[in-house]
Amino acid sequence: MIAAFVLAASLAGQPTPAHEPPPETPHQSVTEHAAEGAPHAAGAAHAAEGHEGPSEILMHHVTDRPLGYSFDLGPVHFEPTRHMLFFVLASAVVLIVVRLAVRSYREGIPTGIGAAVETLVVYVRDEIAEKNIGHDGLKYTPLLLSFFFFILFAALLGLLPFSSTSTGNISVTLGLAIVAFIAMQFAGIAKYGVVHHFTNMIPPGLPTWLLPIIIPVEILGMFSKPFALMIRLFANMLAGHMVITTLLLLIPLMSAIGLVFGVPMIPISLGLALFIMVLEVLVAFIQAYVFTLLTSIFIGMSAHPAH
Amino acid sequence: MPTDPKALAYFAAGIGAGLTIMGGAAGIGRLAAAAMEGIARQPNAAGDIRGAMILAAALIEGVTFFSLIVTILLAIK
Repeated sequence: MIAAFVLAASLAGQPTPAHEPPPETPHQSVTEHAAEGAPHAAGAAHAAEGHEGPSEILMHHVTDRPLGYSFDLGPVHFEPTRHMLFFVLASAVVLIVVRLAVRSYREGIPTGIGAAVETLVVYVRDEIAEKNIGHDGLKYTPLLLSFFFFILFAALLGLLPFSSTSTGNISVTLGLAIVAFIAMQFAGIAKYGVVHHFTNMIPPGLPTWLLPIIIPVEILGMFSKPFALMIRLFANMLAGHMVITTLLLLIPLMSAIGLVFGVPMIPISLGLALFIMVLEVLVAFIQAYVFTLLTSIFIGMSAHPAH
Repeated sequence: MPTDPKALAYFAAGIGAGLTIMGGAAGIGRLAAAAMEGIARQPNAAGDIRGAMILAAALIEGVTFFSLIVTILLAIK
C-alpha cells in the first residue's frame, strides 16, 4: 500500500522534468551550432567529393537537428528538434508506463508491468532515498523517482532505430541538474532557514583565518555538484552513441582501403557494435541509478550537514 | 616542417583521450580491487561497500568525463 502511495506521489511528481528544458536558449544555441557547422562541412574537402567524412557522419548522428517544420503557440515560436521530440516522447512513455502500473493493481497486489515498476520504486525509496536522506527521504522520493524513470526511458528510447537520446543533449541534462540544484538548496533551507542553511556550509570549529579560503571553496562546491551531474549524464549518453557509430564507421573506412579489408570487417564491426549496444542497456540503468543516488546524497548533505 | 594546427588538435585529442582513460582506469581499478578485498574480508558488509564503491566510481568517472569532453572539443572544433 505504501508503494501504491509512492507511485501515486511519483505520478504527481512526474510533470516536473517535463517543464525543465530551458525553452529558448538551448534551442537557439543548437541551431547556431548547426548553422556554423554547415559551412564548415561544406568547406571540407570531403564534401566536394560528394560524400561526408567520418567525423561529419559521427557529429550528424549525435548532435541535435531541427525536424524541418515550425509552429507558433501563442507568443512563442517553436521549431521542434529531434531531441525535443524524444524528450517529450520519453516523458510521455514515463507517464503511460506509470499509469499502467498503477492500474495493474488487483486488490493491492501488482500484476504484470506494475510488479516491475514497483520493484524499482521500492528500490529507489528504500535503498536510495531513505538510506541517503534519512527519515525525511520519503518527501523527496517522488522527485528522485521522476529523475530515475525519465533518465531510464530517455536512454532506452535512444537505443531504438531512428531515434535519439534526449539526455545526450547538454541542455536537457542542464535542466535536470537545475532541478537537482533547487532540490538541494530547498532541502537545506526548508530545514534550517535561509541564513542557517548557508552558515551550515562552513564546517564547525574552523579557525577564523581559514574563512576567506573556505567560503569560495564551498560556494564553488555548491555549483560544481549539479555541474558534475550535468556533464556526467550528458557525456555518458553521448559517448555510448559515438562508440556505436564509430564501430559501424569502421566498415566504410576499411573498405576505402580495399574490399579485402572491408568485407571481413562487417561481422567484426557488427559484433562489437552489438556488444556496445547491449552494454548501453546496462548503462541506461546505471546512469539512472547514479544520477538518482548522487542527487539523494547531495540532498542528504544539505539536509544533514556536518556538526 | 609546416604543421597544420588542426592536425595538432587531432593529435592532442588522441593523446589526451588515452591519458584520460589511463587515469580513470587506474582510479577505478584500485577502487574495485579495494572493494573486492573488503567484500572478501567482510561479506556481511557487501551491500554497503558496493554502494560506496558505485558512488566513488561515479565521481572518478565524472572527472574523467570532464577531460574527455575537452578532448572531444579539441577534435571537433
